[in-house]
Amino acid sequence: MWKVRMRRGTERETGDGKRETLLRRASRVARKILGAPDYQAYLEHCRAAGHGPALSEREYVAQFFEAKGKGVRCC
Amino acid sequence: MNRIGALLLWGGISGLGAAAFGVLALSRGESINAAWLLTAAVCTYAVGYRFYSRFLANSVFGLDDRRATPAERFNNGRDFVPTNRWVLYGHHFAAIAGAGPLVGPVLAAQFGFLPGTLWLVIGVVLGGAVQDFTILFCSLRRDGKSLGQMAKEEISRSAGITGMLAVLFIMIILLAVLALIVVNALKASPWGLFTIACTIPIALLMGWWMKRWRPGKVGEASAVGAVLLLGALVAGGWVAAQPQLAPLFTHTAAAITWMMVAYGFVASVLPVWMLLCPRDYLSTFLKVTTILVLALAILVILPPLKMPALTPFARLGEGPVFAGKLFPFAFITIACGAISGFHALVASGTTPKMIARESDARFIGYGGMLMESFVGVMAMIAACTLDPGVYFAMNTTPAGLAQASQVLAQAGFVVTPDVMHQLATQMGEQTLIARSGGAPSLAVGMAQIFASVTSALGGRTLTALWYHFAIMFEALFILTTIDTGTRVGRFMLQEIVGHVWPRFGETSWYPSVLASSALVVAGWGVFLYQGVVDPLGGINSLWPLFGISNQLLAAVALCVGTTILIKMGRQRFAWVTLTPLAWLVAVTMTAGWQKVFSPDPRLGFLAHAASLAASPNLDAARLIFNDRLNTFVALLFMTVVAVLIVTSLREWWLVLSRRKPALVHEASYVESAYATGD
Repeated sequence: MWKVRMRRGTERETGDGKRETLLRRASRVARKILGAPDYQAYLEHCRAAGHGPALSEREYVAQFFEAKGKGVRCC
Repeated sequence: MNRIGALLLWGGISGLGAAAFGVLALSRGESINAAWLLTAAVCTYAVGYRFYSRFLANSVFGLDDRRATPAERFNNGRDFVPTNRWVLYGHHFAAIAGAGPLVGPVLAAQFGFLPGTLWLVIGVVLGGAVQDFTILFCSLRRDGKSLGQMAKEEISRSAGITGMLAVLFIMIILLAVLALIVVNALKASPWGLFTIACTIPIALLMGWWMKRWRPGKVGEASAVGAVLLLGALVAGGWVAAQPQLAPLFTHTAAAITWMMVAYGFVASVLPVWMLLCPRDYLSTFLKVTTILVLALAILVILPPLKMPALTPFARLGEGPVFAGKLFPFAFITIACGAISGFHALVASGTTPKMIARESDARFIGYGGMLMESFVGVMAMIAACTLDPGVYFAMNTTPAGLAQASQVLAQAGFVVTPDVMHQLATQMGEQTLIARSGGAPSLAVGMAQIFASVTSALGGRTLTALWYHFAIMFEALFILTTIDTGTRVGRFMLQEIVGHVWPRFGETSWYPSVLASSALVVAGWGVFLYQGVVDPLGGINSLWPLFGISNQLLAAVALCVGTTILIKMGRQRFAWVTLTPLAWLVAVTMTAGWQKVFSPDPRLGFLAHAASLAASPNLDAARLIFNDRLNTFVALLFMTVVAVLIVTSLREWWLVLSRRKPALVHEASYVESAYATGD
């Protein structure tokens, strides 16, 4: 296995380049585990990808739930 | 120095695990502490993870962090998102763990604690975790494709369609059996039914909150929902004590069946944000916290196990909970927790789209499944802390109990009606007799464990509250599975029929939505109703069918995995997936055969139908029909998998004999931007 020292692609920074607060980080982790939508994360993703957000918050949330309804839950 | 340290550490862990297994295996007669079970399990997991999963990651799969994952390549900030591996571990675990690993071990406790525990622990290390890891790896290298798509591309088109049909049928049996567990837990239980009924308005409120009022604020909505849920739990106790209100929520199993069917239909037709998503959040929240609390409580209490290591039913095969001998039925009864085909759907669904780098797949795929096995071991412990007499009285109908009375009496597994009545009163129920399905006995076990914690902390024991909390916790995520399962089944049906009639395949065309939902609900409704009216309790015949189907799905997944390994030129490692595959085929085919053709009417469907042929009972005709239906389903499952295995064998032979080029449909290599290069 090739294991290298890596930049952690999963670590995000807030838009102004400051590190995120502990509270914000905890809420992000909780959202991910619960599988909840995270519009801030989407905005950060768009910023990092260099384009403006294509979806409003409402549209993003609606699409997120719609996709979630297709997922499988185990027994 | 470091090397010697590691040697000592892993030598020590292995030794400790072996010693714990020794204690478990050699205990005869005396009561044994749950600590030994936990030690044996945890040491095995540690050794399996450290050595076997590393071998899989390095030598068999050749995971490569330089290779960009789908999450990195298709990052869209929505479903494809590189995710921290600890976070993804939690997410993946929440998606794979459900009622299965909690119920199976409770039922398998009829053989004693040893067979089930051994299967949970050894099965997961060599089978279940390998399956999850393999499918996750395969999907990761194929842009996150689903199991069905992979079967189609790597084996053949017919294999893909067979696999898809298998998934649909399995889903229907699964939903029926899970619904039956809820029905058996809620019948004649006003407290339980009130609490569960309350989850519907609570979920609707949460849905409105996080979609309309404050879009995306799932945390707030879930917190409010959880508080309301606890309120409903306490209120349930009050309702059950009111002579005017209690009858409103006291219903027979048949009535609750109709409610479940209606609920399943409505839930699958409504927009997901209204009922399905909020319920899912609520149950995930409750699931993760309850499992953590249960683990802590077991560690603090370290309860003694009252069930012996082996009961006479392991040898005789006439157990009242489910019929059949240890082989193959212990391995069918515990599907989830040891090896579960359903995980292949999750491991080729959302999870591969979120993995940041390939090496994380080991922790998430293999490690996630080890955690589920641990949940199974905890369920086994909770069930075995019950007095065996109580355990059998709860999980058997009076008819079944009468049949097995002699063996039960010889083994000393008897309980007086007074004791059962006292226990029921303690748990806030009218009766606990014949509540088969595992959930109620698990709830009693959990309630007793939690109650000893609360009383040790100086509070009241709160046993009845804990019992209903445990029931609510299980019913909640079973209902979540019913919501999502009916919906996913509907999509599959629409897709399959859409091949012939394209209009039907449009997921937003209302006539098609209504018709396909009704068909799926009717599918599991038939099996559910049959289980409810079965004089032997239904779980008796439905749970083995579910176990067989789930294990057969695992066989499908392992066929796909083996094919991919062979095509990757890793055939010398193909035993990694072939070993569990061979075991599963042996187990499921034997079990399926016995369920259909065994001359014992308690075991074989056909023999049971024959035994009823002369019966003057009015229900006989219906029971005979059920037996024939079950026969058909079992034979169908076996045929589907036999076809798939033959197709795979042909493909392997063609590739290995170089009659066909070994062409894998892997996504092409893209260098990861996360690799810094040194």
